[in-house]
Amino acid sequence: MQLPVVLKTKWFWYSVLSVFCMGGWTLLGKLGTTEISARTMQFLYPFGWIPVALACLWVRRFRIEKSALGIVYSTAIGVLGGMGGLAFFAACRTGGNTSAIVAATAMYPLITVVLAVLVLREKLTRLHVLGLVFAAAAFVLFSF
Amino acid sequence: MSIPIWFGPAIVVLVCWGIAGLFQKLSTNHLSAETALVWLMVGFFLLDPWLYPQESILIYSRRSLVYALLSSFLNALGGWALLAAMKHGGKASIVVPFTALYPLVTVSLAPLLLHEAITLSQGAGVVCALIAVVLLST
Repeated sequence: MQLPVVLKTKWFWYSVLSVFCMGGWTLLGKLGTTEISARTMQFLYPFGWIPVALACLWVRRFRIEKSALGIVYSTAIGVLGGMGGLAFFAACRTGGNTSAIVAATAMYPLITVVLAVLVLREKLTRLHVLGLVFAAAAFVLFSF
Repeated sequence: MSIPIWFGPAIVVLVCWGIAGLFQKLSTNHLSAETALVWLMVGFFLLDPWLYPQESILIYSRRSLVYALLSSFLNALGGWALLAAMKHGGKASIVVPFTALYPLVTVSLAPLLLHEAITLSQGAGVVCALIAVVLLST
């Protein structure tokens, strides 16, 4: 039996790795916020990124590209990610059900997809659209 | 119908991370996943002067601090994997929804680690999420 083409692509396996790491992040984040305030959680956040950033620099032999536009976009991701992270921890601190909060906040790709189609002119197949419908249904079901 | 107290912060998360998802693709059009991650961390640190805690972090238990740092370490690893997926040809409109299915992991492990009950509809959500992964991967 021939394996589906997608299983041979790197982006698929990187995405799978991301799903597992992000799942662990939400669970440990919730455990942390039982004692630590949202503000302090987000303050501590970049420090956990340092080992991964150092590993990235080492992989690139401490030579990084100097695209100004790329730097602006990447730094903006950090700022937006940090603001979103602060709000995420604040939501966790309210004592709400973790699964519901994680599922509701994980609906952000619907905004990304709209922007990707409008700004990047990316095209979606019918199966992709159906996949998005199932993803949205999953998010809603997770919150009950 | 009463709106849960966590709903307001959740909206802020949706908007911030939704726009950040677009920027992830735009940044990896110009930079490698590794370089993008380094600058992303710089962006996080830019917020730290405003977030500087009024209390000493040493008042918190070692266990909570380990949870906080380990949590962000996993987030960084997940962030790098997401950027690498985009760098290796993944479309923003596919990779972002795919990687946002991490509640699958949360819902599966929350009963075990956080002792939070999982409902029948959350179980149905897991099935929907799995179907979504297959469809988004086609």
